[in-house]
Amino acid sequence: MSENADSTLEGRAPKKLPQGVKVIDVDVHAHETPGALIPYCEMPWRKCLESIAKVPERYLDIPFFAPQMAVWTPPFPQSGSERRNVVTSVAQMRKDLDELRVDVGVIFPDNLLLLAALRDSDYAVALARAYNRWLTGEWLGEDNGMKGAIVAPSQSPVAAAEEIRRYATHKNVAAIYLPSCCVDPMYGHRCYDPVYEAAQEADLPVMLHSVTAIFPVFPFNLNGFTTMFSAHIASHGFSMVANLLSMMETGVPARYPKLRIGFSESGIGWVPWIMMRMDKEYKERRREMPFLSDLPSTYVRQMFFATQPIEEPENMQQMATILSLFGGERSLMFASDWPHHDFDHPNKVLQIPVSPEIQRNILGENASRFLKLKENA
Amino acid sequence: MAVEHVVSRVEDLPVGTHKVFRVGGREIGIFNVEGRYYALPNNCLHQNGPLCKGSVSGTLESTAQGGWKPSWVREGEIVICPWHTMEFDIITGRCLAEPRRRLPTYTVTVIDSEIRVSIP
Repeated sequence: MSENADSTLEGRAPKKLPQGVKVIDVDVHAHETPGALIPYCEMPWRKCLESIAKVPERYLDIPFFAPQMAVWTPPFPQSGSERRNVVTSVAQMRKDLDELRVDVGVIFPDNLLLLAALRDSDYAVALARAYNRWLTGEWLGEDNGMKGAIVAPSQSPVAAAEEIRRYATHKNVAAIYLPSCCVDPMYGHRCYDPVYEAAQEADLPVMLHSVTAIFPVFPFNLNGFTTMFSAHIASHGFSMVANLLSMMETGVPARYPKLRIGFSESGIGWVPWIMMRMDKEYKERRREMPFLSDLPSTYVRQMFFATQPIEEPENMQQMATILSLFGGERSLMFASDWPHHDFDHPNKVLQIPVSPEIQRNILGENASRFLKLKENA
Repeated sequence: MAVEHVVSRVEDLPVGTHKVFRVGGREIGIFNVEGRYYALPNNCLHQNGPLCKGSVSGTLESTAQGGWKPSWVREGEIVICPWHTMEFDIITGRCLAEPRRRLPTYTVTVIDSEIRVSIP
């Protein structure tokens, strides 16, 4: 059962959408508890899940499973874990997405957003496999607009590649989720080549997705901050920036030219900034990256970006300008992040003053190309 | 109509060297690459630095055909701006970092051991 049975979404769907648009939401979250994964987890790791299944849950914060380690802010009402909102069944997700006026949702995990923080490789791989079995077994069985991103455990790129090959032809597996919170080394490291090779071969896009944590690896050594305000911004945004730089410096987009790469949950304001910084630097240091055959921005323009949490300047015209700076007309994809505390309703994205054609692209067409959804999906 | 200017005698510009000359109000770099002569404006398209006063070398290349291993190629064919190390292909004027941009090139001829450059 969902814990948000009293929906606050009802009756607030956008009244006007461009004609014939199929809305694709590239980031929604299913709630996988340790208990839910028990039947899907192999031994001996199942014993670990059994031992933590009864630990009281806090929001994205379960010892030995989702070690957030960022619970150091004053816990006033509505400031943290109390705003926990989860979706635990496909029926509830379908209902919620209907009320958001979303046709297709791409499911990511809740707790496994912190998967890369786990140090034991075998344990992390077992959890990833259990999650992928659970996701495909319980959420992706029907053709009801539910698509899923299977998780690639960063702790073992070889096992991750095996998972990608295992689910390559699953009709509702649409993407590969690269856990980007606490990941070490970052995603440009050559150790991940098997992951990109498998993804390219499977014709599945990879999607980087972070979450808030404090952890002693760059860029999560955030102990200098005192608020979630800072840690939340940094955990998501810095992770995307750092991993994009890492991937660019080893030429991932050049070496895997058919690989589709997407960045999630960091808004879009950072994209023009890092793109222009990279171009500037590249002119002076091209020899460090001889595998690139053009400016880094050329590769950025072939990548994809999810909208949420979309920046909200008073004048939304500024967002139209920002997205135009990196070719977002062809690469920006609507994401709600439902049911998380900072979800974006499609109403907000519709406030960006762009043409109906670009609206249609952002709401669905770009994601459709990124995910390569079949017509009947 | 291009105007031909005599800039140097061949013995003053041996193989592997380059020099900047003032020609018809412009500064032009003349390069001797393996006995062939090439000319570029002494004006980097990045920030107008004195490109042709920079050093000449090869460059790094890394391609799928070569298994993405970096290799040192085109020795003597690349000039590097002394300001920000932007690299240019001496033969085509192409900017290596920005392949859609290139410098103009000028025709160089040798008549009676005199190096001449044609300025449009």
